[in-house]
Amino acid sequence: MHRFARQWSAAASALLLAASFSASTEAQTIKVGIVGPFSGPFAQYGTLFKNGAEAYVASQGGKLAGKEIEFIYRDTGGPNPGQTKTIVQELIVKDKVDYLGGFVFTPNAFAVAPLIQQSQTPTVIFNAATSAITDKSEFFIRTSYTLWQVTVPMAQWAAKSNLKKVVTAVTDYGPGIDAETAFKSEFTKQGGTVVESIRMPISTTDFSPFVQRIKASGAQAVYTFLPGGPPNLGFVKAYNENGLAKSGIQFLGTAETDEFDLQKFGDAAIGLTTAFHYSAAHESPANKKFIEALKKRDPNAVANYASVGAWDGMFVIHKMIEATGGQRDGLKALVAARALQWESPRGPVRIDAKTRHIVQNVYLRKVEKVGGALVNKEVQNFGPQIDYGLDK
Amino acid sequence: MNAVTGSAAARCAPAWRAPLIVLAVGLVAWWVLPDQLGLVTRLAVTALLVLSLDLVVGIAGLATLGHAALFGAGAYAAGTFALRMHPDPLLGLAVGVGAGALLALASGAFLLRYSGFTFLMLTVAVAQIVLSLAQKGRDWTGGDDGLTGFTMAPLLGRFAFDMEGRTAALYAIAVLAAGLYLARRVVDSPFGLAVRGIHENRARMAALGTPVFARLLAMYTVAGALAGAAGALSAQTNAIVGMDSLSFALSAELLVMLILGGAGRLTGALIGALVFTLLHHTAASINPYHWLFIVGAALMVVVLLPPQKAWNWLRARMGATT
Amino acid sequence: MQTLLNIGIDGIAYGMVLFVIAVGLSVTLGLMRFVNLSHGAFAMIGGYAAALLTREAHWNFWLALPVAVLGTALIGALLEALVLRHLYKRSELEQVLFTIGLAFFLIALTNALAGPQVQLITLPPLLAQSVDLGFRTLPAQRLLVIAAGLLVAAGAAWTMARTRFGIWLRAAVDHADTASTLGIPIRTVQCASFAVGAALAGLGGVLGAELMPLEPYYALKYLVLVLVVVAVGGMGSIMGSLVAALSLGTIETASKYLASEWGSLFFFVAMAAMLALRPHGLLKR
Repeated sequence: MHRFARQWSAAASALLLAASFSASTEAQTIKVGIVGPFSGPFAQYGTLFKNGAEAYVASQGGKLAGKEIEFIYRDTGGPNPGQTKTIVQELIVKDKVDYLGGFVFTPNAFAVAPLIQQSQTPTVIFNAATSAITDKSEFFIRTSYTLWQVTVPMAQWAAKSNLKKVVTAVTDYGPGIDAETAFKSEFTKQGGTVVESIRMPISTTDFSPFVQRIKASGAQAVYTFLPGGPPNLGFVKAYNENGLAKSGIQFLGTAETDEFDLQKFGDAAIGLTTAFHYSAAHESPANKKFIEALKKRDPNAVANYASVGAWDGMFVIHKMIEATGGQRDGLKALVAARALQWESPRGPVRIDAKTRHIVQNVYLRKVEKVGGALVNKEVQNFGPQIDYGLDK
Repeated sequence: MNAVTGSAAARCAPAWRAPLIVLAVGLVAWWVLPDQLGLVTRLAVTALLVLSLDLVVGIAGLATLGHAALFGAGAYAAGTFALRMHPDPLLGLAVGVGAGALLALASGAFLLRYSGFTFLMLTVAVAQIVLSLAQKGRDWTGGDDGLTGFTMAPLLGRFAFDMEGRTAALYAIAVLAAGLYLARRVVDSPFGLAVRGIHENRARMAALGTPVFARLLAMYTVAGALAGAAGALSAQTNAIVGMDSLSFALSAELLVMLILGGAGRLTGALIGALVFTLLHHTAASINPYHWLFIVGAALMVVVLLPPQKAWNWLRARMGATT
Repeated sequence: MQTLLNIGIDGIAYGMVLFVIAVGLSVTLGLMRFVNLSHGAFAMIGGYAAALLTREAHWNFWLALPVAVLGTALIGALLEALVLRHLYKRSELEQVLFTIGLAFFLIALTNALAGPQVQLITLPPLLAQSVDLGFRTLPAQRLLVIAAGLLVAAGAAWTMARTRFGIWLRAAVDHADTASTLGIPIRTVQCASFAVGAALAGLGGVLGAELMPLEPYYALKYLVLVLVVVAVGGMGSIMGSLVAALSLGTIETASKYLASEWGSLFFFVAMAAMLALRPHGLLKR
């Protein structure tokens, strides 16, 4: 009993101290919780988020709207909804974060929806790509992309390029199925045929059987989507090494020629066609500024869709801080966020007031060698695309 | 006969003592950590799950790497029940318990014909088969996106599940205490003694006329029931069920937690779950990139320097100075 | 027909990689009854060594490969002699705990030293080219994998049957105490077998890098597959591991070709069936 009393009073005084400390600093420091994978096979996203977010703050002179920013990074590992919920609960209740950012995996985003809704914490999704996420809470704002958004223009282009038969090969999970559904629906609408829909288990590392199936399908092109990291790398290598391009099966992708792994493919990747919202080779002053800021922070930092998602995500948080004067007011912040329109490193973008999803240009790119390195060269601009997955 | 009852009597502390301590500790934690009730809930759920594993590994002596299947079955069953039938938590808990027990009964009937390494690998196979089926049945389970969309009704009609997790934490602690009481009663009963006997010497127990297979299957089913309860708790307090509930990684982690705390004593399961989860949580907050160093090193140190030896050494040194 | 041939080639290639990695664990488990869940880490170390040597130090692949394998053997021998052999007398559960801790530690170390991204091994032009077999094109590297697997199997069988070391090893697996009273240097046999097992795992890591990408979690990610091969093939049985690896590899590949929406279901059903029918291993009586 005595031991309990001591522990109890020690804990109580610690709590009081912590409470007083946070109260005194709250006015000047904005806390932003960044939730993502920092360990495990997808750990590169954590580093990309960190680089993009901190580079943005540095580029604004170290403060946003005159306030200090404190980042709190938390590791979710892989798709781990229970753990993510605990982490975010702690961030909201204990650390009292003002904003949340990050999220790579759909189940993790789903898990925190009730928390952010109840606590009215604006949460910016830097990467997760399933359309349904923004429906789960009105406090989700997305600065990444969705599969519908980038697939519909790709399907339209494929149809216009006289491709009549296409086979889809996607990873068997949310975004992959979104990609397959989106491509199928748009491509058939344009008059083409999807001859086969191959679904690859998420744990696949050896893609050669699937590549052989693609060859055997008799299609003129393959449309594919896989998660970034090892699956992506493995599939594109298998495509290259099994002679698919030579057999006349064109590659149609979206995120597969991601700058993070692009150099690893070597010259075999030249000519791969993708439709996506960001290329590091995009020529604009905003993009130049972004890349410079990244390299200043870390010369090895990679400019790709994840780091630009974090950069633009911090821009949105910046504007929300401005609009609320640094006070914690989720609803007011949202109102400001929904009206945002700006020139991002990817091109002109805006946040859709209804869906809170980013409306952005989607470009057709081909991999080319420029100055000894492989880049995604933008060859066509499809114009601003909305999230077709939500507007159904 | 005396030797057996002697050791049993020494171990037979009243069954309600440990659960009462758990309740007390849980309440104190609930009181002094109002900001981290999510963690407290997770600790309680994990402790219950590792407790159920102890019944299989520590008491029955069957090392398994497929325990997550029983947990996941309870979680998905409770989640689906809340989503499609009725969002009452206690009904859902019963459904989870039933699902875990049922899967344990069905898989145990096949698995328990084998022992040792073969049994271990077959548990892996069964768990992976359950995982594959769950992934395929994404219309029911939500697949890799997880099972969501359900909101739990207030517990006992009065206590809503709040954002800070106050209700969830107390609920989980209560179920853990109840589960511990049940486990204690089972293990200290003649049935439990028979199972422990089977662990120590299967041939001798068979010679004594004990129906070995039936006893093991019954224990496995009880363990399945508790694991299913933990699964239901997890589904209800998180309002989501992910594929990670069925993963091999989870099964392996549970085994590590149990060995860490000491298998066979029931309280060891609780301690192992507590220590490992807190270690992971703290190390990951300090450095999300390199927390695995700390955990890996800690596990190796624990084996090389068993806590018992370190404790004795410490006491010897303190004895020398006083 | 085309599909059958495809399944055959890809299945055998995949199976060979599993075999080369698993055979070391099978021997160690059968010989020392030591549950080494850090075995996957040796495959990872071998692969990483080859990747760093070929990519960063620009060594020739044919030089980097043996160096990587020997390096892994050395690390394995050191680990065994200094640390692991003290655990032989401990309970299986403690061995599990320690080796999992070791695997965690090695994963963290790899991540800290080389980063989380996938490591690619620069192949020489001979292996990087695609070979046209008439009915399909495949990377030449796959043929190397199949050839290497056959060599390892043949070499292991020959060692066991024809060399003194093989006799010592078989005796030690059957009955260590009697073997040592007969003058067989058990410690040397144990250390050497462990080192060879580690070396083979390292070789498997290098050969299999195209199929099983090298990244820090490699050590635990493929552990299940390796354990499955060892269990189905029977602990200590080299031929058993070969047959198990090839059959399971082919079944997994077939399911990718014919029913990929079912994931690895058929692999584990087949595995459960094989284990249920032959609990002590495919070729053991």
